[in-house]
Amino acid sequence: MVKIDRINLSNEGLTKFFSPIEAQIMTVLWENGECATPDITERTGIPLSSVAGTLDRLVKAGYAKRIVDKSGQRVRYLYSASESMDSTANSITRKVLDSLVDTFGKVAIENFHTYSKK
Amino acid sequence: MFSILDEIGCYMDCISGSGLLPLLLTSVLLALLFFGIYLGAKDPGVRISSFIAAQLCMLASIGMIVSSMNCSRMLTIEIYTAYAILSTLLILFLPRIYYRILIKRYRARPVTELMEWPQVFVNSLKRHERMSGISKPAVYYYDSAVPRAFASGKAIFLSMGLLEIMDEAELRAILAHEAWHLRHNAKTPILRHISMITFTRNCSENELESMADKFAAKVVNKNAVESARAKLS
Repeated sequence: MVKIDRINLSNEGLTKFFSPIEAQIMTVLWENGECATPDITERTGIPLSSVAGTLDRLVKAGYAKRIVDKSGQRVRYLYSASESMDSTANSITRKVLDSLVDTFGKVAIENFHTYSKK
Repeated sequence: MFSILDEIGCYMDCISGSGLLPLLLTSVLLALLFFGIYLGAKDPGVRISSFIAAQLCMLASIGMIVSSMNCSRMLTIEIYTAYAILSTLLILFLPRIYYRILIKRYRARPVTELMEWPQVFVNSLKRHERMSGISKPAVYYYDSAVPRAFASGKAIFLSMGLLEIMDEAELRAILAHEAWHLRHNAKTPILRHISMITFTRNCSENELESMADKFAAKVVNKNAVESARAKLS
């Protein structure tokens, strides 16, 4: 789950912020919109035993949301991402920048300026 | 001043001086014999009954030891009596309130909000001979994708994840399995209780699971029990 103190700069892509399973699930939700649990296990290729607990955590943390669908023969969850990939990226970036400015103040801000000139 | 050596000496004197010694030895031997049967037996029914018999013999032995004591104010006896009374109260009263705590903790909702048949099925189990005498358990579901079922007090809890992956026959098997546990807990709290009082671990969990499965296989069918187990493993 995205926690500033656990950001892993050496990891690739979204796994800098999410665990590998969380990153795969979120990618599926961002790319496909509303998904039932079997869609998620199929598209990620991760077994239900690993996906289920992670889905609970993503919902609890607010990155994903789910509704109970009673329309079919069986009840099922329908998952979707709480926010688009862009707004999640926005909130993660904000958190990281806030933390950098809190720690390094002026130096951090000067560096952002050089970034914006590039 | 408390001295463990004095207390042990006191136990030796009082027990050997009382007329209960032969009876006490017999009951200890019987307890060992039943424990032996318990360890050797394969059938879950025999294992549980020998475990209960062993526990009862242990309890009788403890009772005889306590009643043969003539020494006054023995700290070990006082501590043990307090422990026995407290554990009895806990075992008898905790299940009556604990399931209500679980309902709140899991924010469980009656399953009838989603579908009627699980509650109707559990109600119908009461007609079964082995289920008579217990009040109808209520079936609840709670919000979690992790497939899980458990029972406590007068309630059976199913996670949404479980409702998602199981078909109707498998769910019936799971409900029958959990209802059997409730019936067992309601009728034989003595097993867990005596285990606490005699300090022997209740090592019959596997037997209880397999007896609950046997009941489920009888009420529903064996395939449903096996496929539900396979999905949960």
